[in-house]
Amino acid sequence: MICDEVKRVAYFFLDGTLGQTKCIEVSKHLGLCPDCEARTTIHRRIRIFLKKRLARLTAPTRLKQRLTRSLRAFAD
Amino acid sequence: MKSAEAYEHEQGWDFEKAAMPYVDSLYNTAYRMTRNSEDAEDLVQETYLKAYKYYDKFEEGTNFKAWLFKIMKNTFINNYRKKKLTPHKIDFSEIEESYERVIQKNAPDLIKDPESEIFQDMMDEDVKRALDSLPHDYKMVVLLADIEGFSYKEIAEILDCPVGTVMSRLYRGRKMLERTLLEYARKYGYIRGQAEPAKMRSRKDEEKGHKKKEQPGEETEVQEPEENEEEALFSDDEDLELELEEEDNEEFSIE
Repeated sequence: MICDEVKRVAYFFLDGTLGQTKCIEVSKHLGLCPDCEARTTIHRRIRIFLKKRLARLTAPTRLKQRLTRSLRAFAD
Repeated sequence: MKSAEAYEHEQGWDFEKAAMPYVDSLYNTAYRMTRNSEDAEDLVQETYLKAYKYYDKFEEGTNFKAWLFKIMKNTFINNYRKKKLTPHKIDFSEIEESYERVIQKNAPDLIKDPESEIFQDMMDEDVKRALDSLPHDYKMVVLLADIEGFSYKEIAEILDCPVGTVMSRLYRGRKMLERTLLEYARKYGYIRGQAEPAKMRSRKDEEKGHKKKEQPGEETEVQEPEENEEEALFSDDEDLELELEEEDNEEFSIE
């Protein structure tokens, strides 16, 4: 497998959605190619970073209260 | 035999029990979509009321969270459709090129210190701005996949588009977002072992000068999308030709 192809499928490799054959090929390539290995590591780390930074928000209490009130008003 | 009221009351209770656990997720995504807390709250509220109204349409055993998100996405689209939206052509090859440039320049520094969090010092504001610089439909898939953990198939259902389109947008959205983050990291000195703190100090001045050109992502009190933002709402989509595997991979079977 060549670098260009690995670059194209890297995200899906990390998603775990590449088929088994391709997955093995990518793993092999990453073992041999420090550039692609570095990139894939960077993808992975950025994803962890984004998950942490973008998933923090919780709904304000007033919203939760509003919702419960509206839903119960509807139901009655 | 239950009375009509008892039935309705029970259904209301069922719905509340089923739906309330997802408020935080929905709010988080709504906030990323609308970019201010008031609109986000309104969007979530409207979503819940619609979902309650159409609760009998929900198919037991299917993904309830995805169903809620689909309602939210449709509500969002309907609210913004009142304004004129024109597709914005993104030159993705330009993005690929700038990505290559920034990654090649910085990869050696970025892989140092693998145990620590990457871009640890990056301000939330910058992360937000990077996300907001994405066209809406790229932003949506990235949020749904990488923040909310939906599968491609679920995302395709939420967004009402083919799985191939989801994958294409994911590829481009992620790449574009990474590119922007890397550029900020480099520019503002968030890459360890690079820029001195002095770069951070001069940043405020730079921001003032660039204010006009910047994406409006920073402003949290924006009630309506500004002009260039409206254009950026939809990207020019092409399904990515990815030879993704085999029959054994159920994710990609077209039903």
